[in-house]
Amino acid sequence: MAEAAIALDGVTKAFEGHVAVSDLTLAIPAGSVFGLLGPNGAGKTTTLRMVMNVLAPDAGTVRLLGRPADQAARDRVGYLPEERGLYPRMVVEEQLVFLAAAKGVPRREAARRLSPWLERLGLSEWRRRRVNELSKGMQQKVQLVSTLLHEPDLLILDEPLSGLDPVGAEVVRDVLLELRRQGRTLVLSSHEMETVERLCDAIALINRGKKVLDGPVREVKSRYGRNAIVLAYEGDGSFLAALPGVAKLTDFGRYVELRIGDGADPQQILREAAARLRLSRFEIVEPSLRDIFVERVRGEAAQ
Amino acid sequence: MSARLLAVGRREYVERVRSKAFVVSTVLGPVLMAGFLVVPAVVMARQRGRPVKVAVLDAQGTLGAAVEESLARREAAGQPRFEIRPAPAPAGADGRQALRDAVLKGELDAYVYLPPDVIERSAAEYHGRNVSNMMDIGLADAAVEEAVVARRLRDAGLAGDAVRDVTRKLDLKTVRLSETGEREDRGGSFFLSMILMTILYTAVAMWGAAVMNGVIEEKTNRVVEVIVSSLSPLTFFAGKLLGVGAAGLTQFAIWGASLGVLSMWASALAAGAGAPMPEISPLLIGSFVACFVLGYFLYAALYAAIGATVNTQQEAQALVFPAMAPLLTSFLFFPAVLGAPDSAFSTVLSLVPFFAPLLMFLRVAAAPPPPWQLALCAALGLAAIVAVTWLASRIYRVGILMYGKRATLPEIVRWARRA
Repeated sequence: MAEAAIALDGVTKAFEGHVAVSDLTLAIPAGSVFGLLGPNGAGKTTTLRMVMNVLAPDAGTVRLLGRPADQAARDRVGYLPEERGLYPRMVVEEQLVFLAAAKGVPRREAARRLSPWLERLGLSEWRRRRVNELSKGMQQKVQLVSTLLHEPDLLILDEPLSGLDPVGAEVVRDVLLELRRQGRTLVLSSHEMETVERLCDAIALINRGKKVLDGPVREVKSRYGRNAIVLAYEGDGSFLAALPGVAKLTDFGRYVELRIGDGADPQQILREAAARLRLSRFEIVEPSLRDIFVERVRGEAAQ
Repeated sequence: MSARLLAVGRREYVERVRSKAFVVSTVLGPVLMAGFLVVPAVVMARQRGRPVKVAVLDAQGTLGAAVEESLARREAAGQPRFEIRPAPAPAGADGRQALRDAVLKGELDAYVYLPPDVIERSAAEYHGRNVSNMMDIGLADAAVEEAVVARRLRDAGLAGDAVRDVTRKLDLKTVRLSETGEREDRGGSFFLSMILMTILYTAVAMWGAAVMNGVIEEKTNRVVEVIVSSLSPLTFFAGKLLGVGAAGLTQFAIWGASLGVLSMWASALAAGAGAPMPEISPLLIGSFVACFVLGYFLYAALYAAIGATVNTQQEAQALVFPAMAPLLTSFLFFPAVLGAPDSAFSTVLSLVPFFAPLLMFLRVAAAPPPPWQLALCAALGLAAIVAVTWLASRIYRVGILMYGKRATLPEIVRWARRA
């Protein structure tokens, strides 16, 4: 594997009263789409802020694109902060040119680069408007464009899809996939597992400032085995949770997901269920990241 | 690095100069300033237009006519100031009562009472509804005094014409001397110093506050996070100060140019009114700009640091006052410095960088100090700018990313040490 795009070693950050990130060691491979997952307040944003020099770590080192995380390294990074930051009274176009110039892109060049992006994200007719005349979703897209104009090798996007409607989210997702095809490294932070599951090659799950697990998505999932059954039915399914071999039942309304214990036989459960319910769906699946996430976080909380 | 500094400065400058606030203050500033000066003058002239109805009650017996004649000669703005009304014949207590009633009824504005021993004791009385108009009272005082002095001189043996000759009023012409020549001045340079100093004060406070509000806005909108991840906070801080300062200088340039045009018209007007315009020398203009630059960098850097340590403008107010105290205090020293611009007190005070923007300027306007003092002032000022911006940028660096509770003073001190 090539040099990691981001390498954290023993990074710690404490605020008054609580430790936000605790001894975090993490390597984010270059050229991948990496998901940084965790519940709210897990330390995702603090971690990314330390990578971007917005906060200084109390301990540990941050390496960026194979070198110490200095100004030159950060110039090759596009950063979308969790809380969007734009000048509300500035015109979209000028705002973008300024933010690019702050990254060292000549104004003329920045102006040339921004048109295709505005076009693509459906912002062309808004380019001469002030930011505070735009909807939240549009502001979000403007902010995204601002992270792209200096053509970064690495993109750090903190909750990139929050605040977007489904159409907007789809457009942004396409953009992200294209950036990935161009060989750029993407780091997404999110607490929305479905998004991450579809986009990411690898993930790290952090909770309470500590890394809980990390690795390629496929690997993480296989570690948990194909040990879930999705079941949709008519009738009273209250007995399902008590069946032998069923470790846990999650009711999703239209269907339930059963986690089964090691060595339990899914066929046995199918027979039991078919005998007492009208089944419309039966499927053996990998556990969703969401499930693993919830399980691990709950497990931590219980300790 | 410098390209980014330029980008930041450019953004600040363009956004400021384009803003409605800038256009309004640029246009309205001179209008307001003129309004403050012209309106009271016009009002005063109008008030003065109506002469004071006055009677002279002569208990001494022989001085009344002379005082009446003397009062009638008093002029204000080219118009006789007093309208003499006849006094009742018996000058006793009844007469006083009658005049008193007349004043209260509004038939008279005031009456002058000359007691029997007015010449010996040199004391008279002015009774009126309004005794706070110092100018009218001064005129009345002079009128009575002139009549009394004339009488004494005549008693001492001088003939009538000789008395008038001896007591002829003196016209004191004030001439301001400087290296560039001499010119007559009737209080014009005093007013000019005061106006320019007020403009300096307002500009430093206004542009400083503009910097602070910008910082608070960036903090509230979280723009700082993007900025700080893109360039060094020091570059950003410097670019911001330079950009806003340039906007301030632009405003002065616009004012200066329009003033240049106006002053041609005004000097013609002033010449007509017999009040010579005060001289506006290159030294004065140069030191005005230099004093603005010095004051702006010192105070705007403080303002920026304050903006970084708070979350709202309301919170900032409490900190702004102590920071601006030296600038405000300069106003208190204004009469002392103008009275004795070359005294040790004035010299030392005007060299202190935080006072210099207003007080050194005042000295230049009053009586230009020796060049070595100007050079020393500039050197001290530059050193102070370096020190203050350095300190302020450290506080800024840490404060700008702190949200939530307002920083306490010990915390700020710690930031400055650590950052």
